[in-house]
Amino acid sequence: MTTDLGFWTLQALNALQLSMLLFLLSVGLTVIFGLMHFVNLAHGALYALGAYFAASFAAIWGYWAAFLLAPVAVAGVGVLLYSGFIQRMRKSGPMAQVLVTFGLIFVLLDLTRIVWGDLPLAIEVPAMLGGRLAFLGVEYPTYRLFIIVLGLVVLAGLAFVLGRTQIGAMIRAGVDNDEMAACLGINVERLFFCVFCVGCALAGLAGAVAAPLLSVSPDMGLQILIPTLIVIVIGGLGSLKGAVAGSLIYGFVQTFGAVLAPQLSSVLIYALLAAVLVIKPVGLFPAKG
Amino acid sequence: MFHHTPFRYAALVLLASGALFQAFTAQYFGLEILTEILILAMLVLALDMVAGFGGMVSLCHGALMGVGAYGYAVLSTTAGLTPPVAMAAAVGITAGISWVIGAICSRSHGIYFIMATLAFGQMAYSYVFEAPIFGGDDGLGGIERLDLSIIGVDLNDTRTFALFCLVTLAAMYGLAVMILRSGLGRSFSGVMHNEQRMRALGLTVWRIKADVFGLSGMIAGVAGVLAAQHIMYISPGLMAWTVSGEALVVVILGGLGTLVGPLVGAAVFVVLKHELSSLTTYWHLIVGVILIGVVMSRANGIFGFIENSFAARSKTTEINPKAMEVTKDA
Repeated sequence: MTTDLGFWTLQALNALQLSMLLFLLSVGLTVIFGLMHFVNLAHGALYALGAYFAASFAAIWGYWAAFLLAPVAVAGVGVLLYSGFIQRMRKSGPMAQVLVTFGLIFVLLDLTRIVWGDLPLAIEVPAMLGGRLAFLGVEYPTYRLFIIVLGLVVLAGLAFVLGRTQIGAMIRAGVDNDEMAACLGINVERLFFCVFCVGCALAGLAGAVAAPLLSVSPDMGLQILIPTLIVIVIGGLGSLKGAVAGSLIYGFVQTFGAVLAPQLSSVLIYALLAAVLVIKPVGLFPAKG
Repeated sequence: MFHHTPFRYAALVLLASGALFQAFTAQYFGLEILTEILILAMLVLALDMVAGFGGMVSLCHGALMGVGAYGYAVLSTTAGLTPPVAMAAAVGITAGISWVIGAICSRSHGIYFIMATLAFGQMAYSYVFEAPIFGGDDGLGGIERLDLSIIGVDLNDTRTFALFCLVTLAAMYGLAVMILRSGLGRSFSGVMHNEQRMRALGLTVWRIKADVFGLSGMIAGVAGVLAAQHIMYISPGLMAWTVSGEALVVVILGGLGTLVGPLVGAAVFVVLKHELSSLTTYWHLIVGVILIGVVMSRANGIFGFIENSFAARSKTTEINPKAMEVTKDA
């Protein structure tokens, strides 16, 4: 195609930016699953809510306030969801959970339409991050670099919390064997609740940072849901490593597939997912053996 | 295994007479709704067969229906086959594809099975969406209905087509019951209850799953062919994963693993959809609330709920305990 190094750098950065956005979404979903064995299809809807909250807050207080407040607001919605539905559905099978959260998608989608209307909203990239930066010999939008950096910061933060702190050890123990962890005096139920809220906040954060890139529309949650699910299933449910690997695989396959084989690109990622499931039915890095 | 209780017979008779009454008395719009119900009923029948009796909760049945629809459309227009041959070929192709999907996914369970079938469904969807031979996102038009003038039946008439769908649905229901009662169907239910034990008995588990999944896909393919003939136009939207999700919703609303329940669910769902969407554009909100209510109430859908309370009162029929088990194992 081309031997120009700048082209490859640009595509790699695009892929990395998509990966980081997906990482923010999938890490919450995957840890919620690993810890609670709970399948939350409404995670995409929370991302859309994050984008809408960000759009509303940005119109009043500017972008940075929205960036900070949207995750908090989405976490608030998460608290409502948790006490209303999820706590009660914890012991049901995956199918009941899939269905309840599928119903929640319908409800949240129409609620956003009622509150914010059907027309897509747009929010401006903050002035500080507008423009382009020269980076490795290419000009790249600063805002997209910001997303990559943000993803890496969140990744580092989570890796530190999960790997090096006592809370992290408790979460890992809960993922490994929740009954045994409860026997050791860990309040698994409260841990679940905290992890769920953090996962929701991360989904809201992803929505807030994605909002200036895409237009904020009611179906953005549905559009992102399938890629997020692919990421966590390829990576293996429940593990940070899996979420990172899955996001990177998805981002790079999608971006380079679209450039190198446009006809195949949309099928490619699904074929890859099917291949992973055939060879390793529980994903590449599952949390449990 | 599937049992016909007197209650189920009564429900079937009621459904059939309701459909017949509608078919002979309704005007154009009512007939269109009836046909939509019948086609959806065929799809959810296929889904209930695998989800309710084998725990294979598939999120690709909408796409399988789409394969049948697109197969028929392409074979009868572009390839120029006569409608009966194109129908048979399209149904055969769908059955083959779903057999392969069933075989590949047979090792996965629970959420992984759901995801794997979702992946295959989306693969088909995005392929059709891009491929020029399938009309891409424009869809395909100019699809002909089956020509039965040889026996004096004109399927281009709305009423006749609705009756044709009703007859086909009845045949598919009979087929599903036959499959579930056969040795294959019994082994299939056995695999759901205890896969290891069935393996120890010397059964090839993946073959059983793949065979029933293929047969279920065949019924979905028939639904697809009829859907293509009904609207005479198809678009990739038919294959989107939300269609499969909706089919699952209908199965749950009706009653998983009852075979009759999903038929009730299809009728309720389509009527509800039309009534609500004429009242408000936010009808998804109401459907979502009903779905959440039904799942959280832990009743096995509308039909399952009535059946269980009926059985509890009369004590003549055994309560269907399978419903809860399925939700747990699936």
